[in-house]
Amino acid sequence: MIPLVLASELTKRVVVTLGGEAVAQIRDTVFDARAGRVTGFTLSGRGLLAGPLKESLPFSGVHAVGPSAVMIPSEASLERRELTVGADGSGHGQVIGAPVLTDQGTEIGTVLDVVIETGVGGRVVGFEIAADETMDRHRRKAFIPRGETLAVSGRALVVPAHARHFLADDLPSFGAQVEAFRAHTAQQYPGSPATEAGGPA
Amino acid sequence: MMMFTQVQGLPVITADEAEPLGRVESLTIDAHTGGIACLRLSGAPRHVTAIAWQAVEAVGRDAVIVRSRAAAGPGQGSLPAHQEALGRRVLTEHGAAHGTVKDIAFDNTTGRVLTLYTALGDISGDRLLGIGSYAVVVRAETS
Repeated sequence: MIPLVLASELTKRVVVTLGGEAVAQIRDTVFDARAGRVTGFTLSGRGLLAGPLKESLPFSGVHAVGPSAVMIPSEASLERRELTVGADGSGHGQVIGAPVLTDQGTEIGTVLDVVIETGVGGRVVGFEIAADETMDRHRRKAFIPRGETLAVSGRALVVPAHARHFLADDLPSFGAQVEAFRAHTAQQYPGSPATEAGGPA
Repeated sequence: MMMFTQVQGLPVITADEAEPLGRVESLTIDAHTGGIACLRLSGAPRHVTAIAWQAVEAVGRDAVIVRSRAAAGPGQGSLPAHQEALGRRVLTEHGAAHGTVKDIAFDNTTGRVLTLYTALGDISGDRLLGIGSYAVVVRAETS
């Protein structure tokens, strides 16, 4: 079972050292769209009037992303520089609201949020989408796994068509769906390594 | 074994002079050793505001005994900064909340922290990782 978290839920989450000091809070999550993982977090100070901090937190410096706090070993994990948003500009803000297309050309909804695996990798495992009526009359919101190659630009996000069979209604059940989706993808392309599967179903 | 809340407010008396030094305001834990580093006093004369655990002879039901006034004095500067643990929120190293510290049991001969009591269950003192101004951080339960 993979512990999953929504990127939007991380905003304002407090950053605490293992020594018990709160040093910052998460301002925004920065993605490396090409690698499909979280690069790190930009930070803001704690309290009402605190503004953005110069320091940022690379994902490699994170001890754990928990439901109540993001834990870091010590303040030394913060880096005194801005995180570079991917060269193609596909940071967090641009992904949200982008239309979601299958690789067979059907539009199935728009991106509401990004689902992240909270282990050491910080992998993007899927998206929460606002579903179009054509896809499903009963669901308004759904979680959909991403393909192994993540195709995302500022304007659209493309997922494999068979990912539609692995939708979930909530985050807890989405973890199981992601695992089933991966098993299915691996089965379909037995020879290929897991990093380059995800063609048409 | 004694509880932090039992010790708070006890008079601190020197054994040699039978002189009261003040009352126990709080106990400071050294999270690295998992033991009590010092006692903080209130109403203390002569700027003795903290007493290192090594200078404490005994912690009893009715009083804390220190050997002498001279023993209580030195080393004020080398004592760790106080972080109050009682009432502080508890976080596991995985970032999950675990209530707040209601009380702490400690061994009154060695000064070792035995158990942290929270509304969500007891935590062994061995799991203590850090005590800061925001939270008490504990090691995740090995399951």
